[in-house]
Amino acid sequence: MIESLSAQEPHRRPFSLAGRAFDLRQTCAANRPAGRDGLADTVSRPSQRVEGDKNKLPQGWKTACLAAAVLLGGCRMASKPVIAVIPRTTALVLWEAEHAGAEAAARKAGYTIYWNAPTSEDDVESQIAIVKRAIENGAQGLVLAPDQPLALMVPIRNFMARGIPIVVIGSPLSIPAGGKLSYILNDEDETGRTAARRIGLILHGHGSVAVLGIDPNVTGIVLRTDAFEEYLQAEFPNLTIADERTGGFNIAQAQEVTEDVMARNPHVDAILALNSSATRGAFIALQHKGLLGKVKLVACEQELIPPLVTGEIDSIIVENTYEMGYRAIEQIAAERRGEAVPAEMKLSPKLVTRENLNTPEVQQMLTMNWSGSK
Amino acid sequence: MNLAARLRSPSIAAILCLAAAIVVAIVALIFFSRRTANRLAYRDSFASGNAAEWIAFGGTWQIANGTMRNDSDERGAKLITGSSDWRDYSFAADVELLGEQGDAGLVLRSSDEEAGVDSYSGYYVGLRGNDGNLVIGRADHGWIELATRSMPRGVHAFQWYHLKALVHECEITAYANEIPDGPAQTLSFNDRHCLTGGRIGLRSHSSGGVWKNLVVLPLSVAYPQSTPSGPYPAPASLPYAVDEPVTVSQRGAESPLTRRPAPGGETASEEAASIESPKPVESIGGLRAVRTKDRLATVRGTVILNSPRIYVQDATGGVAIMPHTETNLKVGDEVEVTGEVDVHDFSYVIRNAKIRLLWAHAPAPPLAVTATQAATGAFDSRFIEVDGSLAGITSEEDNRLLLSLTSNGQSFSAIVNPTRGNQSLRHITKRSVLRLRGVCVVDPEFTRNVTPFVLILASSDEVELLGGPPWWSLRNLVVIGLVMVTLCLLAYLLYLHARHWRLRAIVDERERIAHEMHDTLAQCFVGIGFQLQAIGNSVPSTLPNINRQLDLACDLVRHSHEEATRSLSSLRREFLESETLQSALHSFANKMVVNGAVRVKLNAAGEDSATPYAVKDALFRIGQEAISNALRHGDPTLLQVAIEYAATTVTMVIEDNGSGFEQTGDLGGFGLTGIRKRAEAISATFSLFTGLGQGTRVQVVAPLPPKLAWLKAHRYFWRDAWGGVSNGKGTQQNPYSYRR
Repeated sequence: MIESLSAQEPHRRPFSLAGRAFDLRQTCAANRPAGRDGLADTVSRPSQRVEGDKNKLPQGWKTACLAAAVLLGGCRMASKPVIAVIPRTTALVLWEAEHAGAEAAARKAGYTIYWNAPTSEDDVESQIAIVKRAIENGAQGLVLAPDQPLALMVPIRNFMARGIPIVVIGSPLSIPAGGKLSYILNDEDETGRTAARRIGLILHGHGSVAVLGIDPNVTGIVLRTDAFEEYLQAEFPNLTIADERTGGFNIAQAQEVTEDVMARNPHVDAILALNSSATRGAFIALQHKGLLGKVKLVACEQELIPPLVTGEIDSIIVENTYEMGYRAIEQIAAERRGEAVPAEMKLSPKLVTRENLNTPEVQQMLTMNWSGSK
Repeated sequence: MNLAARLRSPSIAAILCLAAAIVVAIVALIFFSRRTANRLAYRDSFASGNAAEWIAFGGTWQIANGTMRNDSDERGAKLITGSSDWRDYSFAADVELLGEQGDAGLVLRSSDEEAGVDSYSGYYVGLRGNDGNLVIGRADHGWIELATRSMPRGVHAFQWYHLKALVHECEITAYANEIPDGPAQTLSFNDRHCLTGGRIGLRSHSSGGVWKNLVVLPLSVAYPQSTPSGPYPAPASLPYAVDEPVTVSQRGAESPLTRRPAPGGETASEEAASIESPKPVESIGGLRAVRTKDRLATVRGTVILNSPRIYVQDATGGVAIMPHTETNLKVGDEVEVTGEVDVHDFSYVIRNAKIRLLWAHAPAPPLAVTATQAATGAFDSRFIEVDGSLAGITSEEDNRLLLSLTSNGQSFSAIVNPTRGNQSLRHITKRSVLRLRGVCVVDPEFTRNVTPFVLILASSDEVELLGGPPWWSLRNLVVIGLVMVTLCLLAYLLYLHARHWRLRAIVDERERIAHEMHDTLAQCFVGIGFQLQAIGNSVPSTLPNINRQLDLACDLVRHSHEEATRSLSSLRREFLESETLQSALHSFANKMVVNGAVRVKLNAAGEDSATPYAVKDALFRIGQEAISNALRHGDPTLLQVAIEYAATTVTMVIEDNGSGFEQTGDLGGFGLTGIRKRAEAISATFSLFTGLGQGTRVQVVAPLPPKLAWLKAHRYFWRDAWGGVSNGKGTQQNPYSYRR
């Protein structure tokens, strides 16, 4: 079973509204002498004066020094640097796993996470606005899953010019890695090959398959589509692709497209859904037509876990977004320490079926428990 | 005077106390007004169309028939109000879901709100359609589901529920029942590390919602602790894993508001058939190409406005839709529309339209254009964004606001549907720069042929204030002018005071010198006199020459002592402070003519109330010189001294009936140089009237400074600005002005 959210320790207060908290930290940081522990330095000076001439120091000065020490101490406690983690959207299994991984790494590395994203994966304008706001409010690093590879190029270049370490996860931008920019990507070739192998296996190398959810705006999906086609053609020549449809992040539209595909190709044996919206749309369409289980549904990107248990979905090729979030925070922390980090890293996806669903590895990849509770 | 001494001054201390009292009063006023504004008790005013206190984070929030309505399926749309100081309270409302698969409910103890699905810190109590649960959750910029419990009959769209939530210390309790008297469900959760206070809000997720009868009351009395469902109950389900979208079949079949077109409308089987044999769908922009009257066409597009008229756009254009039957589409819905196309010059309308809902989606972003581009009609019925300067606001029928705007020589209007923020729109200053997002309409029904196009805005949220009016407005220029004039007058008054202080300093210094001379020079004369007298007493009378010379020396010393004493006394301030100018001059003249045949006559008019000492002193010395000149050179029998005090001047006239003298080019003699300099020093006008056998008349007109005469200050300012600060250009014609 999927690890359910527990209420034992459900509340770890994450980074709240960016502006206020950032401002406080910036203020505190500005008060600290460069390169030293601000608390120790600032408090030691007045105490030396006290030792020199205790009797002459007025009571008001003592109070002021004490207040300053408490204030600076408070600043120091609240001075965890912030890393902005901006996925394509939030509140989906795919991205909440990233949230969980990022929070886990941030707790370990002493960072605070600012987590927000557009309410829809194709709202690139909102994503740019959120990223800009986070950086302007003082985020020390950025982990971004871009909604669109082109529109985010200029903002990302601007942030790179300001020396902000950036890790792009999931799908790449059209900017080469290097400098402060690095990639932690899903191995899209492997996703495509895995999908082809799985469909070839369950169809025993014969039949037809429809490919849904090709989104030209997401480079990774295009790559996984190409890999799927190549591997299928090479390894399973008797498997044909009956239809290929584009689609964005609109579930109802994906449902409509699936219904249309099934109407035009009633003998399709399997459907490959390339993203989570296509998966949901295809699932609902098959459900309405009573074809769940009869037409094999192989999904990319984790979504709709319960139907996997019942066999209504054959398998899901899960991206390891938990590990992406975890490693991205580690990389930014390392960059801020001046250490070298790999420019590009690819994480292998995992084929999840009802047989391996409950393994700890898969459970971690599907967790939505970002709060750190057990 | 040092600072401490100044602070000890009663007047300064009083001013400081007054300033402190004003500051305290202002702070107290702000504090109490804030407390009043944040008082924990709230009832909505949706029935009166007022909801300006609410702030939207996503969604399309509008007031409709006394309810607050979000027609958007956007995930996590929020509407927030209240105070961060609110702690323990109950929040009740009637809630209706507009979709089967989403959820809608109430937000409590909220803070740090941002646009985003779970981008706030607070609690959420809601009704979820996809699993029929009453749910308590917590958002910390990420969702944590705390507790759920099934509603007895599930949760259904278009069914009103009464929802009530209470937050008391760390316990969150939820109650819900179907309206009017359906089965109820309660749910409670004790949050060990709870949020302690915050605002309230309305929230929906993947579904629209309607809220009404909002009531927030404080929990001031001892609140009965409900039994928690467990110490830390596990959530019943994952919140997002089983969500389903709003689909054609679901909304079409189950929603009475989003129906298929009724007469001849498609059924589910017809819809399936239509999938297999799809109708030819045209692009909206292509509708213009065929002008056949009342031809049937089918288009697909996104709903960009649903009130007062439905507008749909695709990538090629937009079109107004007049449906065959009533519909309740949401902004963002993807629809297929079939109807009769009515083509106009710049716009087209699909009448008797049958609308098929394809799927729901978030509202489309606007297309940014200039007002000139919009005025061409190329963007008719499309969702656009335009900047403009506000020219005026008027109220239309049905509580709509009509904004008049200008931009780059174009004028256009914007119609704002009656929504919660319209009150705040009324306070925007004219000539402010606004950014508006709405549907561009060139239909004369809306433009009335007054402007090339009209923007129809879904709500006041579509108006963004980019900047206030430019500073060079007429009002500001007038204010700046007045301020500048006031500053000039103040500067001039300061200059007058500075000049007065300078003259005062000169007088003080002269007085000090007089005292010094009295203590040294005069005493020396006395000593010399005594010594000469002693020498004289010891010189035998047989030396008459020496005695005579000693007597002469004694006389000279005595005379010099008297002169010195007289000069010193005239240097002293007390000389004029103890008596008036006319009496001083009269006394001086009488002393000069004692035992003589000259008669002295004094004329005085007016009251000496504000003549500064410097002026009085200068006039006295001029008078002394004039009297001395008259007696020495004129051989008069009558000497007249006249002083006249007016409101702004004092005039002194010394006149005799003596021999007078012939005017020559050089008037430096007769002590006139000294008189002229003294007159210049007080900005006085000096005039001399004389002639052989005609006597002599000396007239000096001295201005009085604008002391305690703020309203008259400008007269001096302009007089000095045009006439110069020196004397010599008096208004009276002076034929003998020595400054010729």
